[in-house]
Amino acid sequence: MTVFEVINNILKIVGDAVAAFIISILGAGGLADFVIMLLAALIICSICAVAFMGLTYAERKIVARIQDRIGPNQAGPYGLLQPIADGIKMFTKEDTTPAEADRWVYNLAPLVIAVFALLTYAVIPFAPGVVGTNLNIGVFYVIAVGSGSTVAILMAGWGSNNKYSLLGAFRTVAQLVGYEVPMLLNVLPVVMLAGSMSLVDIVERQTLSNGGNGIPFILMAPLSALIFLISGIAETGRSPFDLLEAESEIVAGFHVEYSGMKFALFFLGEYVNALAVSIMFTVLFLGGYAGPILPPYVWLLLKVAAVFTLLMWLRGTLPRVRVDQLMSFNWKFLVPMSIVNVILVMVIGKVFVADAVLAQSNGGIAVPPIVQALILFTSSIALLLASLLLVARQARQLRLVEAEDIEKRVAQNKVAAAKVVAQ
Amino acid sequence: MTLQQILFIVISLVVLGSAVLVVTTRNLFHAALFLVVSFFGVAGFYVLLDAGFFAAAQVLVYIGAISILFIFAVMLTRDVITAQRGNSQWQAAAIVAGVIFLIMALLLGPFSVTIRGREFGNANWPFAMDGNAIKAAPGNFVGILGTGLVDLNQYGVPFLLAAVLLLVAMVGAIWVARELRGREAERAAAETAVDDADMDANQPVQEPLPLIETETHEAHDSRNAAATEKH
Amino acid sequence: MINGIPLYWYLIVSAALFCIGLYGVMARKNVIAVIMGVELMLNAVNINLIAFWRYITPTSISGITFAAFIFVVAAAEAAVGLALIISIYRNTRSVDPEKIDSMKL
Repeated sequence: MTVFEVINNILKIVGDAVAAFIISILGAGGLADFVIMLLAALIICSICAVAFMGLTYAERKIVARIQDRIGPNQAGPYGLLQPIADGIKMFTKEDTTPAEADRWVYNLAPLVIAVFALLTYAVIPFAPGVVGTNLNIGVFYVIAVGSGSTVAILMAGWGSNNKYSLLGAFRTVAQLVGYEVPMLLNVLPVVMLAGSMSLVDIVERQTLSNGGNGIPFILMAPLSALIFLISGIAETGRSPFDLLEAESEIVAGFHVEYSGMKFALFFLGEYVNALAVSIMFTVLFLGGYAGPILPPYVWLLLKVAAVFTLLMWLRGTLPRVRVDQLMSFNWKFLVPMSIVNVILVMVIGKVFVADAVLAQSNGGIAVPPIVQALILFTSSIALLLASLLLVARQARQLRLVEAEDIEKRVAQNKVAAAKVVAQ
Repeated sequence: MTLQQILFIVISLVVLGSAVLVVTTRNLFHAALFLVVSFFGVAGFYVLLDAGFFAAAQVLVYIGAISILFIFAVMLTRDVITAQRGNSQWQAAAIVAGVIFLIMALLLGPFSVTIRGREFGNANWPFAMDGNAIKAAPGNFVGILGTGLVDLNQYGVPFLLAAVLLLVAMVGAIWVARELRGREAERAAAETAVDDADMDANQPVQEPLPLIETETHEAHDSRNAAATEKH
Repeated sequence: MINGIPLYWYLIVSAALFCIGLYGVMARKNVIAVIMGVELMLNAVNINLIAFWRYITPTSISGITFAAFIFVVAAAEAAVGLALIISIYRNTRSVDPEKIDSMKL
């Protein structure tokens, strides 16, 4: 084994060594498996917690730079200890409960949110062979678990017994349930192109080594990637879709009554969800850990960091959308376009087949993978441009009608004024 | 006892316990949350049965969609705290449900009761009693299910019908639950007024229907009273 | 994953779940709670179908296809049923099944 191979597979080697050590102590069997699983879950959860601390610092620094501020700079060098200071503050704060709160529901909600946010990480492949469990329905599992947090948000909104909380919860649920639809519809093209719902298989299809063709799915389905990113941001409730906690409208939404560690759990849930969306985008569209020269986990880290920086950039620059804009953008634009996109990818994938053997058996024209990717890319972009043109035309007509209306009213006013003058 | 048996017992306790709470809790919001717990336990059963796809579908459909609908309905009808535990026939309902359960348990399990010298139950189905003589788990059952659902020779037509059912249900639900606005609302109000007048003309003796307007006025008044009390 | 669990365990649990749902349907005084009972019954049926599929015919897909259709029907039923309830509540200000009797002769 060369040095390169050791460095590339360091996570797997260490993991195997730890597993062998545990088995040597407890003996092979159910108990050892259980302990190994528990340890793996613990490691994933603590990585999430550490990443949460790092992400809050990075986000505050980057958003501050975008807004021409300095950001945290007091605690430690460059403000690096700021997350720890925040943590201590959260721990020492008083843990309040509203007098009329529904106690059980109120106290359980943050836990449920954090658990559902962490559950996603069980199926994400971090490097070859480094994955919690390789479910054959991985993508479906991620989306199912992601939908679970809706209940927790309703619990928080109801349990606080505060009208702003409840309003925030209603808004959240309308937004989350609505944006789940385009998210699911835009995972479909990837699943169709990869021929599998397992996240490991999807990544392997985008690598050069194991039966893939090295083309990331963002080049084969760019429209899906775009809509997935938009609906992913909406799913995590970050700006510009942060209606659920719009400070200027409903104070802080469903977690207005929470303080101390319970608030920290909500915060953790939000960041862990945002990180999960970045990782899912990387795995589905950017090829996950696939990449030349550098070790796979470094590639994953770089790609995830890039996507998360994009999220922060959007947060720092875009204004918040209105509720009606949010819903009509989803139901009248994203969902129809996604459905057309799914049909397009399906038809093109069946007509231009990248696999020669499959083309022979199922019909269709056999083309090299790069040509198939090119056709898919151009058709997706064409669909995007066509729908944008359609919307622009609609908007122009609306504006014309409005202008006519105004003209009419001005003319009426003139007539009325003339009458007054005549009298 | 194997690990699976312990898991099964824990999950069934969770499912049945929360189901009992669903049908007995006074607070309907809590009932909806216990319903979520029960659904989650059923997803656990599907995992135990090697049907991971259905476990995920259970979480997505039941917890992510149906229970949200329930919670919304509970909140929109504002009858949360005042809900009564049961109607006048709840004892009879409990007896009927219990008797049906006993009959089913006798039909399904290896138990028996002897009534007047005749033994009932003890079905002893060979395939149902042995927990270890089980066929191997199917490998890629999601793929088989998917191809079966779109194959016109297998379940293609029912699958299309299911899709149509979902579409019709969606359109119907939106149509039924939409709020009437403007002219439509006026027309609907006029129609109900005409209906009430007809009914009054035909059956003058019967007790009058509770009018909507008076009740809303009352609700409004009480709300006002509460507001003034607060002030 | 089914070592040592006989099929009748599943059947008994699902029978119990079905009867609890039945009690909810018969005894509750709120239409939403009644529909919750119906959902419990549908879940019991689904456990039965998937258990029978797993234990008796794991190679054929008939059992799980039925389960999939029950998912569809349950979703449609919940959506339409709750929409009807909200509509009724708007008109009568009540969700008590005994009071919704304007169709009675």
